[in-house]
Amino acid sequence: MNESALAREQAAPAPGSSSELVLQVEDFTLSFSETAEKNLIDGVSFQVERGKTLCLVGESGCGKSVTSLALMGLLASPPARIRRGRAMFGGRDLFALSEREKADLRGNEIAMIFQEPMTSLNPAFTIGHQIAEGIMRHRHLSKAEARAEALKMLQMVRIPAAESRLDAYPHQLSGGMRQRVMIAMALANRPKLLIADEPTTALDVTIQAQILNLIRQIQEETGTAMILITHDLGVVAEVADHVAVMYAGRIVEQGPVDEIFNDPQHPYTIGLFGSIPTLGRRQGRLATIKGSVPPLELMPKGCRFSPRCPFSDSRCHEQVPPSPLLGPNHRAACWYAPLEQKLGALQ
Amino acid sequence: MSNSAEQTPIIEGRNLVKRFGGKKGLFQSAPTVHAVNNVSLSVMPGETFAIVGESGCGKSTLARLLLRLIEPTEGSVIYQGRDITKLPAAEMRALRREMQIIFQDPFASLNPRMTIGSIIAEPIRLHGLAKGKDVDKRVAELLQVVGLRPEYASRYPHEFSGGQRQRIGVARALAGEPKLIIGDEPVSALDVSIQAQVINLLEDLKEQFGLTLIIVAHDLAVIRHMSDRVAVMYLGEVVELAPVDPLYETPLHPYTQTLLDAIPVPVPGGKEKRALARGDIPSPTNPPPGCRFHTRCPFAVQKCREVHPELEDVGGGRHVACHLWREIQEREHPTAPVDRSSENLTQRLEIYRAYQAKRDKSPATVE
Repeated sequence: MNESALAREQAAPAPGSSSELVLQVEDFTLSFSETAEKNLIDGVSFQVERGKTLCLVGESGCGKSVTSLALMGLLASPPARIRRGRAMFGGRDLFALSEREKADLRGNEIAMIFQEPMTSLNPAFTIGHQIAEGIMRHRHLSKAEARAEALKMLQMVRIPAAESRLDAYPHQLSGGMRQRVMIAMALANRPKLLIADEPTTALDVTIQAQILNLIRQIQEETGTAMILITHDLGVVAEVADHVAVMYAGRIVEQGPVDEIFNDPQHPYTIGLFGSIPTLGRRQGRLATIKGSVPPLELMPKGCRFSPRCPFSDSRCHEQVPPSPLLGPNHRAACWYAPLEQKLGALQ
Repeated sequence: MSNSAEQTPIIEGRNLVKRFGGKKGLFQSAPTVHAVNNVSLSVMPGETFAIVGESGCGKSTLARLLLRLIEPTEGSVIYQGRDITKLPAAEMRALRREMQIIFQDPFASLNPRMTIGSIIAEPIRLHGLAKGKDVDKRVAELLQVVGLRPEYASRYPHEFSGGQRQRIGVARALAGEPKLIIGDEPVSALDVSIQAQVINLLEDLKEQFGLTLIIVAHDLAVIRHMSDRVAVMYLGEVVELAPVDPLYETPLHPYTQTLLDAIPVPVPGGKEKRALARGDIPSPTNPPPGCRFHTRCPFAVQKCREVHPELEDVGGGRHVACHLWREIQEREHPTAPVDRSSENLTQRLEIYRAYQAKRDKSPATVE
């Protein structure tokens, strides 16, 4: 077991060799103040392949949204300061681009869908205008051409009677329809990478199912790589190829979706799964994760989950855990991973 | 609890109707919203009853009608066998001690200018349950009951996290020593790990104080976990009402089936294909005639467009409002959603719980 794990570790760093890497984030570290001892995002690394979906999972404040905003170049700096790391996208480091270069990428090669479709659409303009705006900005088409393109996009996201909806204002559409418009807008310039931040959280479940289906179909049609940010493990199971679980600014576990769900290794991941009620027959009380996320200043030097972890000891508090490879592309940042093997040492 | 007490529902709604709006303005009249349409249900003492549905289905309105926080347009509310629909304000106020509500948004439901202590003490003083020093003692006690430190009494709501605020809301609801607590989406604003803590807390308190719980929620997994019976609402009407296990295992109404089918389950590959509900939920200002679900129902026939189906008793405590439910059951055999967690997870959760329990016992625990 140990030897094969070692062999896998050596073979691991080039999982993108056969498939096309769209984005590669390495050691991304960010803080919101010059002097802070602890970083808000601390050493985050992940990659996204063409046509695949990476799900960033975590609870509020874990840094998943900040990560996506940083990739989009949407964080004001100052106060945000990227302290280390890079994000390679098509041979360029996203963190090293000028404002002008970022503006050229945004809505073009990288697009984003936000959680709240009502607040992310401008209520004063028709949706046709808003979709066409991005097309004209990046593809330099005429107004009429851009409008025709906008119509095509509305049809692609299956908005019924698309032609008449071009001149509708956002308030005239339902929540699900608005989210379709957001998706149409995001995809209008055929982005290589789509970042969706909780795209279905504000929607009812029957509408959520429609939108998830749509996202999947469009991804198959266009081969867009996607980063989907969510806290809903059901959504993750349904759309993810690869999953990264974040806690307090670090990725604590990541791996292929089947590995994460069938062989979760980090105590936080295990606690998280235990916290969600299932649709099957009741199986006693829910497991819980004790306490809550401590404020950044009080975060331990070592593993940030250690104050809430049932397995933690003094080493966990003091030293940042390694991230051993536990399966194909599957890593967990824990001193006690793999759990069953290492627990003997606890007693 | 005596047998006869068990026969009387703790709270009952009879033919409740609530319409909003419809007022004539200067230039136009406001549209009438048919929020709740002829809903009857009864909740037995000691049970956890859930009301589930998507936004705009009238579930929160129904909960507020039961507490008489809003007045019904038609119908009546019976509390412990007594019609309270026309109860004068003073008597109603006295009764409110026994019926409490926990709101969804712990950020909006606590007065930011009051300390936690005074928020919790308010109902105690109002109902004269304690005086002087005893009030503080009772507040401290309640804070401990919901898992917060008694010292927190002097702090303000903004100093607390969402989960802690929801605990404060629960403590306040408990302060009046209620018999019935309605939770209006009590955990939906919380993170998963915090949600689990609050769910466990509510269950413990229910046990400890012999409460009856009515949970209004849209999260079907939370409802399955917590409740004994469930009413499924669609556009202001109850379309199915049943004990929790049969409802989830053999849902009878096409809407219940759609709803269960639409939830993503945390099992990769657990869902291959799904029958999507077509279109959007119609506006409650203009509900469709006949069966209100017919515009989205995959089985709808002419009759569904014309004749309104009544909620019929089909045995085993189950009720369904659908013309076609028998045929659908025979023809389609709709199956319960897949839900299995991996062996590894089950095993590790056991270890996790065991270590957690061990740590709970040791005195040197943090928090």
